[in-house]
Amino acid sequence: MNEDIENRLRAALRRMDPPEGFAERLLAALPEQDLPARVAALRAARPVARPAVAPSRWQRLAAPAALAASLVMAVYLGQQIGAQRYANEQRAGLEASRELMQALRVTSKKLDVAYEAMRDHNPPPANADSEETRT
Amino acid sequence: MHAEPASFDTRALLTNARAGDRVAFASLVRLHQSSVYSIGYRMLGRRDAAEDLAQDVFLQLYRKLDSIETLEHLGFWLRRVAANLAIDRLRSSAWSTPSLHDDVPEPAAPESDDDPLMTRALAGLLGELAPAARAVMVLRYQEDRDVAEIAHALEMPVNTVKSHIKRSLTALRGKMIGARLVTAEDMP
Amino acid sequence: MNAGIFSCLALLSLVAGPLSAQTAGQLKLPEFPTLADKAAESVVVTFDSKMLNFAGSFLNTKDPDEAKAKKLIASLTGIYVRNYTFDADYVYPKADIDAVRRQLNAPGWSRIVEARSKHEQSDVNVFMFVEGEKARGLAIIASEPREFTIVNIVGNIDLEDLHDLEGRFGVPDLDIETGKEAPKKESPKKETAKKP
Repeated sequence: MNEDIENRLRAALRRMDPPEGFAERLLAALPEQDLPARVAALRAARPVARPAVAPSRWQRLAAPAALAASLVMAVYLGQQIGAQRYANEQRAGLEASRELMQALRVTSKKLDVAYEAMRDHNPPPANADSEETRT
Repeated sequence: MHAEPASFDTRALLTNARAGDRVAFASLVRLHQSSVYSIGYRMLGRRDAAEDLAQDVFLQLYRKLDSIETLEHLGFWLRRVAANLAIDRLRSSAWSTPSLHDDVPEPAAPESDDDPLMTRALAGLLGELAPAARAVMVLRYQEDRDVAEIAHALEMPVNTVKSHIKRSLTALRGKMIGARLVTAEDMP
Repeated sequence: MNAGIFSCLALLSLVAGPLSAQTAGQLKLPEFPTLADKAAESVVVTFDSKMLNFAGSFLNTKDPDEAKAKKLIASLTGIYVRNYTFDADYVYPKADIDAVRRQLNAPGWSRIVEARSKHEQSDVNVFMFVEGEKARGLAIIASEPREFTIVNIVGNIDLEDLHDLEGRFGVPDLDIETGKEAPKKESPKKETAKKP
């Protein structure tokens, strides 16, 4: 009975998406925060004054290209750091799970020793018939 | 079981979001928004209330990103905050109890659903459970979390979680029979 | 006299503080640092609920043993194991084990199995901490000539899950509730090799 209602519940409680644009509305509501150092440095590196002469095509492309390159490098470095942390976390987790299994094996082994010791101490009762027929 | 996002790219999103990358944070939001929004909707029964709750949960997350250690922790943290915030809102007088009469239609049932009326009714009947019991059932049957995690998230003993599940299933069965959605023979 | 009363109160507060903060069913287990150096093998595990959750999340649920382990630890808040194997008989100090045994005299703890095997020269005691009608802690103290073990499991212990633990890893069931022997399922494999 319970399995049937549980299955019906799972079907009834499928996840739903929020209305379109939820993430965008949320981003718009995020509070301003201190800029990370690398972004502040990038902004500080931008030229403050407009050049007197109209910039050449190359000059127009150079600053955003440098910014894009820096952002790509920052994302790449972030990914490398993330990869290292992930690898460390995986190693630690697998080691912990191995230790856990070892602990459970020791526990079950000692419960087995208790059982064996009890069995040795309380051997199965002798056949009652043989006692009754003794003369 | 709902699979938690576990790819390396997703882990990089968490790292980058913590570093202040709003685009990365938005990606994390999109990964988890259906879970958080659905917890809100199943608890509060209204889409506008669910969206408000989801927005508050993610705003809290944005402020507390530094305390999130792993992706698994992120999922747990979101479920915990969403469920507890929903319980608080239900218990306060400002929020009405959910009903079956939400004017906005449910999302289209999947093709595999052989009884969409039953499905909708059952989701509605869930709304008649007390807040804590409702949260337990949502985390169990929508989010597919185990009893220990539910106990941890809602800060209640494991045996209390088990009791909520048992009693809620019994209550739901009774309500389904009472609403003539099923007969007693269908669910002995 | 006032100084004496003050000393007693200070001593009581030192003792009561840590004890009152301790979880029901949990023992204070030392790390036995000197024993670890002497032991040929050792298993020392100290897992509180956070570590249990962390370790449990890395268990492979496709492996039957690990899946069962994950279910078992779901309602636990701690697993603590001190297991040491030596190359010579009785090189571990009895006083260290006695200090742990004394904690099991505290209210709430009951010995449920006391078993000695002359053949194996083993001495195994199994204790349970019961609060209301619930088992909140399990302790095993086992000593053999070349090995001693202390296990403390803390949490909402489901005796059925405990029976399951006994049934895993090739261990027969131990009917702890009634004290009677349960039908043997399979023979346990004895360890034959020790680390040189």
